[in-house]
Amino acid sequence: MSTFSFIETTDWLCAGCNQPLQPTKVQVTYLNSAFDVELMTCPACGFTLVPESLAVGKMLEVEQLLEDK
Amino acid sequence: MDQSQLRSLEARCIQEEQPFCTAACPIHVDVRAFMTALAKGDVREARKVLDRTMPFPEILGRICDQPCRPFCKRGEIGDPLAVGRLERFCVDATQAVVKPPRLPAKGGKVAVLGAGLSGMTAALDLSRKGRPATLITGSPAIGGSLHRLADALLPKEVFTEAEATLTGYGVTIRTGSALDRQTVASVLDDFDAVYCDWDDFDAGLLPFAPGTPDPLTLALDRAGCFGGGGLEAGRTFSVMHQVENGRRAALSVERSLQKVSLTAQREKEGACATRMYTVTSYFAPAAEILPADETAGYTAEEAQREAARCIRCECMECVKQCVYLQEYKEYPKTLVRKIYNNQAIVQGTRNANKMINACSLCVQCTVICPHDFPVAEVCRTTRMEMVETGHMPPSPHDFALEDMRFSLSEFCSLSRHQPGTDSSAFLFYPGCQLAGSAPEAVQRTYAFLAAHLHGGVGLMLGCCGIPAHWAGQAALFTETMAAFTAEVARLGNPKVITACSSCLSVFRAFAPELTVTSVWEVLDTLPLPPSQIRPSAPLTIHDPCTTREQPELRAGVRSLCAKLGIEVVEHAFNGEITDCCGYGGLMQFANKGLGKKAATHKAGRSDLDGLAYCAMCRDNLAASGRPVAHLLDYLFAAGDQDPLARANPGFSQRHENRARLKSDLLTHLWQEEAVIRPAHTALRLLISQELEALLTSRLILVEDLQKVIHHAEQTGRYLINPATKRRLAKYRPVRVTYWVEYEPTGEGYLVHNGYSHRMLLPEDAQ
Repeated sequence: MSTFSFIETTDWLCAGCNQPLQPTKVQVTYLNSAFDVELMTCPACGFTLVPESLAVGKMLEVEQLLEDK
Repeated sequence: MDQSQLRSLEARCIQEEQPFCTAACPIHVDVRAFMTALAKGDVREARKVLDRTMPFPEILGRICDQPCRPFCKRGEIGDPLAVGRLERFCVDATQAVVKPPRLPAKGGKVAVLGAGLSGMTAALDLSRKGRPATLITGSPAIGGSLHRLADALLPKEVFTEAEATLTGYGVTIRTGSALDRQTVASVLDDFDAVYCDWDDFDAGLLPFAPGTPDPLTLALDRAGCFGGGGLEAGRTFSVMHQVENGRRAALSVERSLQKVSLTAQREKEGACATRMYTVTSYFAPAAEILPADETAGYTAEEAQREAARCIRCECMECVKQCVYLQEYKEYPKTLVRKIYNNQAIVQGTRNANKMINACSLCVQCTVICPHDFPVAEVCRTTRMEMVETGHMPPSPHDFALEDMRFSLSEFCSLSRHQPGTDSSAFLFYPGCQLAGSAPEAVQRTYAFLAAHLHGGVGLMLGCCGIPAHWAGQAALFTETMAAFTAEVARLGNPKVITACSSCLSVFRAFAPELTVTSVWEVLDTLPLPPSQIRPSAPLTIHDPCTTREQPELRAGVRSLCAKLGIEVVEHAFNGEITDCCGYGGLMQFANKGLGKKAATHKAGRSDLDGLAYCAMCRDNLAASGRPVAHLLDYLFAAGDQDPLARANPGFSQRHENRARLKSDLLTHLWQEEAVIRPAHTALRLLISQELEALLTSRLILVEDLQKVIHHAEQTGRYLINPATKRRLAKYRPVRVTYWVEYEPTGEGYLVHNGYSHRMLLPEDAQ
């Protein structure tokens, strides 16, 4: 399975771990489908950032596609 | 839905029925398409239409006796179209454009005795089908009695042209044949099938008594022999009928050669009835355009104007009124086929899901349809099927179902006898949307009912479950109804008084054992409340779609308005054909844009400010930009507030109002402790109006934001921007992950943004 990358430089830091976010490979899932994606994540606690543009853009698009499968 | 159900549903929609002209035409010329082309000035395209159906357009186009004309719907609003004259114009102005194909020869020897128009037609049709015929006539030329027509009407060249057409398709023409009983008998022996055209062939030459041709097949009293086409006693000479006979005979000959049934499925042959339904009242009357020069016929300009009078008969009665059918560019027949195909998909994308979920289930189309096509029932049962088979997408209904669960939760639901009593003769059931939209109106109405009705008036706050019914969630709906009826029974089965027509329709349909009425009919029997006010100008009334089958309720509302002195102006789409405001069937959640269109469409039925008596209608119509008041706002006025100016509270406020209504009632009326709400609801959020609108459109409630911030602040798990000090946090209460960008201030949390997604991140999966 190919990995889609959504990494972008970000000013957000993980407040709990006081760490800058790092590009990380994570698996997101929806309705019995899984996708490997690269997102910005806290290297210590794993808090994953989903920026607004991704949530209301590509992610929404894929959600709707999967809902009609 | 199985295939037979699909077929019987499809048959109920008459949009694809033949228009009246085509049905009345013995050979079913597509007159509507012909007129459409001519009206555009496209004479060549019009000629194509004739070429496709007429056997000899150069003849028929000039002498068609237009049996369709008496059936032309234009006749109801002016004169019927001058079909014959337009055909003549077209044929005079064009050469043949379409040459129908000739199928490969299939064998079988066919003779046509007599070369009148029906014989010529039979020979041509058979040759095109791959059965080259021999056309035999004792006359010196083909054409039969057509030769008696004046040259000006039918120039002699047309016979040469027709002859060329026939031979071009492989017809052998034998003119001037010496025909006697003996030669005719040998033709009958030599050929497998014979058609006799009485127009140009003497029946006395047959070696058998032909009898009267069978009207369906034109079969004579000898196998393989057919006859028709002559002058009919007592009837005018109809060339169209001759052509129809020739065509009918050709099909019979073809079937007799194939040795298949001569009679099966021939109902639509020849002039036939149509179920087409066309309302002409939309069109302005228009008289026939007469040619300035009768002998020369139409000029191009005159022809175009005359053809433009065609109203292009179709039904589309439901589509004309329904924004949903318009949006998806379907009429019921095509809609149901798409739904069927969608359900048949095993692997692949179900493209019609959104369409199935976007119908408001309001039933307006069914009422309008001359054959009661049940679009709503098809959509709703399909939704149930989707839920049962696990193919229902979660996003269209999740929000409304969560909202329903919240209304039924301990934070909003309530069921009590009137304070100080332990039995109820009545039970006021305002419904979840009125409680959300106008909680004060609920309180005032309840106080009034409790003061004026005898025997105790209980109160129940909750949700009737109609969102689950609409969403196809049969189990949830059944469970909700069962809980409701059990609770009514626990209260001693009082008479239920609903303020919401949706609740009323659900209770009547699914709990017929209960006694249910509307608050309007009850208020109509009581004195007017003291705090009533009236609008300064007449208002148009908007019936909710769920009152379609509740005439007493609608009458009660009007009676109350009259007593109140509200001057009500009826628009044309009330009562049984009223529109939905966009909430019905959860339309506005499945297709947000369409929901708005529905509200605008309903509000726009009149130019006047509106009066609604359904909380959802009131709020949706008000949100569409029209001042619309709720009837309770006039009956139980709050100070000098203008009921027409009340804004749409929006989902969050509605949510909050329901919870607050319960708390207020519990503490003030029943002197009980309010239900303790979760800690997150105490957080104070500062949200700009602009952001609030964005959040509403994203179906994010203030309470969702409170949950996120509360979780973030409790756990310390959030992101921070060191430069701006803003925080970004997320939380997934059930099936949606909400994100909030915010910053703490002295007065509360200032919210900068909110968004959501359904996809699951690994850390939220645990």
